Parts: sequence; structure tokens; C-alpha cells
Amino acid sequence: MDPSQTVREGLLPLLPRLRRLARALAGQVADADDLVQIVLERALARAAQWRPDAALDTWVFAIARNAWRDELRARGRSQNLFAPEEAGVTATDGASAPAQTLDLAQAMATLPPDHREVVALVLVEGLSYSEAAELMEVPVGTVTSRLARARATLQAHLGKDT
Amino acid sequence: MNPIDDDTLQAYVDGELDAAATAGIDAALAHDEVLARRVRQARALRAQLKAAFDPVLDEPVPAHLSALLRSASPQVLIAATPLPTHIARRGFGAGRHRASHRWLVPGAAVAASIAVLAVALWWKQGGDLVRMHDGQQFAAGALSRALDQGLASAPDPHASIAIGLSFRSADGNICRTFVQRTRPAMAGLACHEAAGWSLPVLSAAEKPAGGELRQAASSLPPAVQAAIDARIKGEAFDAKQERAARDAGWH
Repeated sequence: MDPSQTVREGLLPLLPRLRRLARALAGQVADADDLVQIVLERALARAAQWRPDAALDTWVFAIARNAWRDELRARGRSQNLFAPEEAGVTATDGASAPAQTLDLAQAMATLPPDHREVVALVLVEGLSYSEAAELMEVPVGTVTSRLARARATLQAHLGKDT
Repeated sequence: MNPIDDDTLQAYVDGELDAAATAGIDAALAHDEVLARRVRQARALRAQLKAAFDPVLDEPVPAHLSALLRSASPQVLIAATPLPTHIARRGFGAGRHRASHRWLVPGAAVAASIAVLAVALWWKQGGDLVRMHDGQQFAAGALSRALDQGLASAPDPHASIAIGLSFRSADGNICRTFVQRTRPAMAGLACHEAAGWSLPVLSAAEKPAGGELRQAASSLPPAVQAAIDARIKGEAFDAKQERAARDAGWH
């Protein structure tokens, strides 16, 4: 069977999730949908590299994650965006906005890319730690530590009600 | 002092703990109010993230996105320029401009090796763009110059040859895709070797029925795409890597 046709058909039902992931990564709707378009083009161009024993969703999420990282690099803002691991927590100390959806999106935008992608993959998309680790090509321990720091940052942003 | 560290607590909330560890925390929650509050906070954050992003699932998918996957013709979309470069040039949010950098070339028209052979002959007759060396096809003339000098990140709109993706192949050589814009529209893959740019694949990129080559989308013929897939190791070059590779003489 034509692998590109298989991938094409398999991606169609994944589009809503892909858009959700892109929204969590890129923030703005227009940016996110541009990212999705790039991801689809890349996925179709590389359809022959997809193996049927690999889950199509994590395969295409990996393409999305890499495309997003490429985009950050291409913008030349990597120096600013790739904050040191600790900065994620300390940068937002003292901030306490009401816990609302809009604020959450803003809080996401303040996360360094390493943290934002792990939140997007695990907390938004529901991947397991090991799936996220494989996709990001880091050890599981790195996923958990980044996730814990990202949570602390978001929590600080959203205030400590409950 | 709390015996449950943050990593364990979040693993609990995320359902990553095994049954025994989960039961342990369940039991501790009953009499540890601080722990219970931390769990509530972590769960609340998860719920807020769901509330913030799950509505995207119910939004209608923009037609231009689903159309990419519903395409009835077997044409395959591929960027004519390396994607990172492409993004760098326009940035996200400039979607309405992006079409101008692409080429619509239906890939269905050509697949058979007979056609590819005919293409090679055609090219040789047509413009001295191909030379033979030790029984292999190599780029010559304007094609060779375009491959040596052209950058997809700095395209020359008037050049007859457009450079597409550049990447390092599994055998270590740098390969580049190209499209000839003038007729006959051709696309191919060139790989840098000691004797020059070898051309493992040349293929006709026929114009869409009833129209000029439109700069509306892009694709490479399946034969070229398959040749890329068979060779590429890692990612295609971004603008910086492409320039660096040129400055290093494609080695």
C-alpha cells in the first residue's frame, strides 16, 4: 500500500489533536495553524519514514515538536527563549493572577520551550512520561523534572487558591 | 517535612505510579492535609489546562488544513525550500504570503523508469544540463552552477533552476533537490561527489492540466521524493546550515 496514502488518511482524524498541541506550543491561533500546515507538509513528505508499528499520533507530534523548535531557532530568539532550567521557576515569583483560562495561556507563553513542550505533550495531549521522553529524545527523569518545574511556574502564575 | 517529593506527587496525579505506590499515596492522603492540598492544586492545574486547550478539539478544522490531507490527486506536497528557512523568511502568521514560494507540480504524471530515462535524454538534448561521466549522470552548465551557488534561503526568482531541500545523505554526501522552472519542467536530486553533482534521479515535473506552472503549492515527483527518503539522514538543512555547506564547498 502507498504509505503516503495511509499516513494521509491516518492524519485526518488526528487534526483536532494536532491543532490542540500546536495551540499549546505556539499560543496564537494563526501561528498554531501555520505550524500545523508545516507539520502536515513535513509528515506527507516523510510518509515513507513512518512505520506501521509506530503510533501515528506520537510520530506526527514529534514532527510538530521539532517544527516548532525549528521555528523558534529560525526566529533567532533562541537566546532569549531558551532560558536556563532554573529560570522557569524564579522568573514568575510573586506573580499571582486569577486562575482563568486566558491567564493560563499567558502563563504558558512565559515558559521556556523545554518546559512548554513537556506541558503540552503530557498535560494537554495526555502522553505518558515515557512517550514524551522518547519523542523529546531525553531521559524520563528529564521529563519529570522539567514538568515539575513547569508546574511550579504555572502554579505561581495562577495563584494558590484551592 | 513531607515524605512525598514533588516528582512522586506529580507522577501520582498524572497516573504514572504503579498500583502499590498509588495505594500508598491514597492512604497518606486520608490523614495528610498538606499532601491533600498539593494533590488538589496539581489536579486543578491539569483541569485548567484541559479547560484552556480542549475547546480546540471542537473547533472546525480550517479547510486549507484538511484539504492538504483530502487531496484527491496523488500529488504530494513538499516544500520547495527548506522549511526552517521558509519559516525564517516569513515567520508564523504570514500564511497568506506563503503560497508564493511554492510550486505546484503533480507527481502522478511520472513514475516509470522509462519516463525517467526519456527525461534524461531530453535534458541532454535540450540544454547541456547533464553530462555523462563513467556511465553516471552529472549536472553540467547552469544546473551545476545553480547547485554550487544557489541557496533556497536566498532564492533568485529569475533563475531557471530553483533549489529545494539540501540535506546530508546517509553516505555522508550532501544532496540537494532542484526544479527547473522553464519548460520542460524537471525536478531531480543531485548529490555532491568528487566528480561533481551526480544526478541519481531526474524526473519530469509536468505542468498542471490547463495551466502554467503555478506558484501555488509545491511538490516533487514521487521518484524524487522516494530518492530523498532513501538517502536523508537527519533533518534537511536550515538556512544557516545550507549557507555553511556552500561555504565549505558542499563537503
